[in-house]
Amino acid sequence: MKHLPKHLRPRWRYLAVGIEAWPDADLDRRGFQRALWYAAGNLLGDAGSADAGLELLSFSVADGEGEAVVRVRHGHVDESRAAVASVSEVDGDPIGIRVRGISGTVRACEERYMGRAVGQSVRRDVAFEDAERTAVVREDAYDVRTGSEYVGATAFDIE
Amino acid sequence: MYEAVHAYPDGDATVARHARTAARHGYDGLVIRTRAALESANDGGATTAADGDAIADEYDVDVVDAVEIDADDPTGASGAVGNCRPEHTVVCVAGGDAALNRYAVEEPRVDVLARPSAGAGGFNHVLAKAARDNGVHVEFDFGPVLRRSGGDRVRALSALRKLREIVTYYDAPHVVSANASSHLELRAPRELVAVGDRVGFDPEWVREGLRAWGSIATRNRERRSERFIEPGVRRGRYETER
Repeated sequence: MKHLPKHLRPRWRYLAVGIEAWPDADLDRRGFQRALWYAAGNLLGDAGSADAGLELLSFSVADGEGEAVVRVRHGHVDESRAAVASVSEVDGDPIGIRVRGISGTVRACEERYMGRAVGQSVRRDVAFEDAERTAVVREDAYDVRTGSEYVGATAFDIE
Repeated sequence: MYEAVHAYPDGDATVARHARTAARHGYDGLVIRTRAALESANDGGATTAADGDAIADEYDVDVVDAVEIDADDPTGASGAVGNCRPEHTVVCVAGGDAALNRYAVEEPRVDVLARPSAGAGGFNHVLAKAARDNGVHVEFDFGPVLRRSGGDRVRALSALRKLREIVTYYDAPHVVSANASSHLELRAPRELVAVGDRVGFDPEWVREGLRAWGSIATRNRERRSERFIEPGVRRGRYETER
């Protein structure tokens, strides 16, 4: 199809979104997109959700930390921010989410806000609360395995 | 802006991890509602009170020690408030049933009535007036709005709306929080404002609610400091130890 004249093309804003999860979370692109649309549908309704758009352009996650670029319609950034904030889990895995910034082009969005995360994570045995436990360590963040669950800690809490 | 969280052992992240995340989200401070989280390590707490200041230095986030009293009845809550008031900067009472809500708003030693509409209780004009007169802040819990869906969320939203109408009419003080129990449940202030805006809160009003935690902490720290004698009376420059 012939593409639209410039003044009729939709204008977009690109949200740089930071994602955090427990290290054993199994996040994928489809699941995250579904969670995003689901959250928007629930918070903004079908009409508001269609207006906002919220299309996932890029997504990368490793060992519980990741980032994504979400395309939204210009003029619906506030609604989109609210919808993004109300994503609390993806396929049953709880996630933390934050809008790092907003740009008018994908390129500016990537250059300014992306690629800063995802330091290598390592598995290590640590002493937490007087017991030896395994932890997944990323920078100074320690996700310590206690029983069947993780506890979020930092270098501070490790003896 | 400040946020109030549940830390390990009550929640799934330690005080330091909350502080690290809050700093990234752009908060100025963090109110730790879990009593055990900042108590000394030999009592079984995860981090020591001295660590509170160290954490604050490390992550550049103010760490406020607080307590959330979750009692079955006003008698129990009253005893706990008496015990905790001298030791903690911020004292919250978890509301829910009618008697507890009423107790909390009528007790000037309480700073915050947390989650007033969580249980069967409810909130009315009588409680709002009492809260205003006693300076008890009413908490608006955004947790269910962020983390629930369907009927639960609808009920939480309608409770929030009712609470908002009553509290704003009587101009009772308020605080806003996402009630996070792990670093994953924390949301940045702008996100909370955006969500609030969607569900009918005035953006500036939400920001005010987030700042209120900070002003409670500042006021109480001053009251607990040695220079404070009574409201309006400070120990002067020329007074010496006797």
